[in-house]
Amino acid sequence: MNYKPLKLTQTVRGSGCAAKLAPGILHKALCGLDLPVDSNLLIGLENPDDAGIYKVSDDLALVQTLDFFPPMVDDPFRFGQIAAANALSDIYAMGGTPKTAMNIVAFPSSSMDISVLRSIIEGGLSKMREAGVVLVGGHTVEDSELKYGLSVTGYIDPHRILAKRSLQVGDRLILTKPLGTGIVTTAIKAGFADEELTERVTEAMATLNREAAVVMADFSVHACTDVTGFGFLGHLAEMVVDSGCGVCINASAVPVYKEAVEWASMGLIPAGAYNNRDFRGTFVQFSATVPQKIQDILFDPQTSGGLLIAVSEEESEKLLTALQMRGIKPASVVGEVVASPIDMIIVN
Amino acid sequence: MANELDCRGMNCPAPVLQVRNTLEKGALASLTVLLDNEAARQNVCRFLENQNYEVSSEKSGDEYRVFANRGDLPKETAAVPSISPINKRGDAKRKIMVLVTGIYMGHGDDGLGDMLMFNFLKTLKEMGGELWRLSFVNSGVTFTVEGSEAVPILQELADSGVKITACGACLAYFHVLDKIQVGEVTNMLEIVNGMREADSVITV
Repeated sequence: MNYKPLKLTQTVRGSGCAAKLAPGILHKALCGLDLPVDSNLLIGLENPDDAGIYKVSDDLALVQTLDFFPPMVDDPFRFGQIAAANALSDIYAMGGTPKTAMNIVAFPSSSMDISVLRSIIEGGLSKMREAGVVLVGGHTVEDSELKYGLSVTGYIDPHRILAKRSLQVGDRLILTKPLGTGIVTTAIKAGFADEELTERVTEAMATLNREAAVVMADFSVHACTDVTGFGFLGHLAEMVVDSGCGVCINASAVPVYKEAVEWASMGLIPAGAYNNRDFRGTFVQFSATVPQKIQDILFDPQTSGGLLIAVSEEESEKLLTALQMRGIKPASVVGEVVASPIDMIIVN
Repeated sequence: MANELDCRGMNCPAPVLQVRNTLEKGALASLTVLLDNEAARQNVCRFLENQNYEVSSEKSGDEYRVFANRGDLPKETAAVPSISPINKRGDAKRKIMVLVTGIYMGHGDDGLGDMLMFNFLKTLKEMGGELWRLSFVNSGVTFTVEGSEAVPILQELADSGVKITACGACLAYFHVLDKIQVGEVTNMLEIVNGMREADSVITV
């Protein structure tokens, strides 16, 4: 019998975006900081979005982001792909085009063979190639737990920035990937997920949001974000809070992994989902018909989740069709922007 | 007797798995689970509710206590198969036979092989209900005899319904036939029949 193959997820405590610091704690660390001022900084920490944007000239701005996390799948190459797709996603969510990337690595060289790191970086490179991004460098530190991600820089037209907070009443909300990856990766870690599902979810997490971004560029999209560690409702809350309007979600229209529903009721829910609910729960009102397990999935931290796009009602069906024509099959209209109640999310 | 499970210091999904493992051995009319984080508390509550328990919990300091009761079960531990299948794999139950042929796992360094084998036996329970038979031959039989650290591990497997056998000729060869502590003495015919009946045989 051969030695048991290395299981990356067994070497770490948290996994994927579920390992994100609880949003409430992060808020405490960041609020009230004295930040340097520069009039070319179009989007920075004062009005946080998916990525920062710095204007270079009237028609060009830099869009920058950084994301890294512990493994949520056991295969090193796949982990690299997912981490890269996840980091690149923030650029797409702003409406930008990624250009350069740098590796961020924390590696336990005393307990893990260096070939694992090579596979991870090869996975990352495969996604950079697909995205038309060049790797310009990186930084590696010794750490007790493996982590990998990218710092990405891209170009963006400063007149066409898809900020989070520009919802308009009547907009339809479109989500491009199913929810439940945090729960599914918890189940993978627990040894419950079979190979077919593991592969299906891995493939979805490793899929770039590039196609969706390219499609949406032809439509008058009002706002966009990508759904990651704060979960669907956490990221939606960022769009809604202080927007002056509200959002109505149709829970049964939200694409989810059906296995995640079963596992949610079994309590295979990452701690991040509870943190997300604690932080944003006050902005969300569930109708009595939404089962607990669906509520849990709506707060489940996603790794490399889909884009959440706000588009006018007139264009919403056309955008949905265009997304599905480009192979983004799970894309669905999940809700709409309403005039009241202000700054609230209603889930029916 | 109160059934209490200490899951302090564990992060999800470990507490849910612990509770699940406990209930798989037989349904309990009541169970108390000790935890030290809120996410684990909520996950364990969801799991137990899903298993038709009435669940309540209390917090004291940094610790949580989850109380679960099922009125439909007798007070004492009942040998009722309690748990609904958590995944599709559980539906079509296979029979896995594991044949342990020595005291080391793999070749290379015996110190490492010794450690790996012990760890392997300890981890075998993760095969769940599919682990059907565990047979020891050659020096492997020494795991089943007095003085072996593996005895309590094997006893736990035996208690959960795994048939454990040790080759009689091998026990005799190592002069430990009278020292067997866990499992049954077997012969080559029974081993071969087991191999034929099993859906898969794993040799270590």
